[in-house]
Amino acid sequence: MSTLTKVLIVLLTISSIFLCGIVVTYVANADNYKQKYESQNNSYQSAKRNEDNAKTQLNNTIEEKNREAEKLGEQIASLEDQINKLKGDLANAGRERDDAVRKVNNWMTIVKDFSVTVEKNQQLVKDALAERDTKEAELIKQGKELKDTTAALMENMAIVRQLQEGSKRLLEEKTELQNKLDQYLRQYGKAIAAPSPVTPKREAVRVAPPTKDIDLAGMITEVDLKNLLAEISIGAAEGVKAGMRFHLTRDDKFICDIVILDVWPEKAVGWLELLQEQPQNQPKINDKVSTNL
Amino acid sequence: MSPVVQSRGKKITAADNLYTVILAVAFCVVLATAVFVAYQCYTQYDTIFKIQ
Repeated sequence: MSTLTKVLIVLLTISSIFLCGIVVTYVANADNYKQKYESQNNSYQSAKRNEDNAKTQLNNTIEEKNREAEKLGEQIASLEDQINKLKGDLANAGRERDDAVRKVNNWMTIVKDFSVTVEKNQQLVKDALAERDTKEAELIKQGKELKDTTAALMENMAIVRQLQEGSKRLLEEKTELQNKLDQYLRQYGKAIAAPSPVTPKREAVRVAPPTKDIDLAGMITEVDLKNLLAEISIGAAEGVKAGMRFHLTRDDKFICDIVILDVWPEKAVGWLELLQEQPQNQPKINDKVSTNL
Repeated sequence: MSPVVQSRGKKITAADNLYTVILAVAFCVVLATAVFVAYQCYTQYDTIFKIQ
């Protein structure tokens, strides 16, 4: 074997081992694309499922959003109605406030007038109190005068009593002297003439008591034509007495007379007199009775 | 090829069987490499040569 062949064998062997080592290293470190494909495919499928789920959720979210939008629209409409109502209430409240302000102003004016009136009344009360004090002073003064007058009256009463006792004693002495004079003159057949005052006494003119018209009036409350009795609506409280005569009239027409027999506080019963035979002239309930025609 | 006994004073050379062994080793290495590559292809792509 030639040397060249040997060298070539050695080089071939070395190169083969080297290249095989490279190939083994490359193949051992090469990527497993199938596994990567499967993993990527799985990732894709899962991403697709996620997409479907996301689309479903998106649709659900959109539907829910639409429902909420409709609900919010209804709420907005109701809130607008409430706003309009509240605006109306606000306007009413404003009018009521204006009315209240006017009332307050009126009441303030009234209170001012009332304050002025109260001040005037206070002044009047002060004046009245001052006048009362003055009157009380006068009353005390008059009370003192009354006490003095009462004391003087008591003294005068005592003097009058003494004078009456003196007069009584003088009358007794006069009677005793007159008896003695009678006995003395009787011996000579004479008597004492009645003494007459030098100046005649004058008596004051007496005024006759005024006559009073009774003028009682009432109504017939019950009639008993069989027994000729009738009841009237006035009694002893109004001054009705037994024996009184009442005239029964109806529309300026005389019907009959009633003579009272029994009297109660609020009614009276009497005897019918001067009855007429015509039926239209018989007494009825609610006919007028009076003492004076 | 038979071993050649070199005489004293001559250059010592390897026998021819040594190169045969070296070639056999190279062949085995290449064969093992091919088997390994084929095994890897089969395990990863379920085929050796076919492209799916």
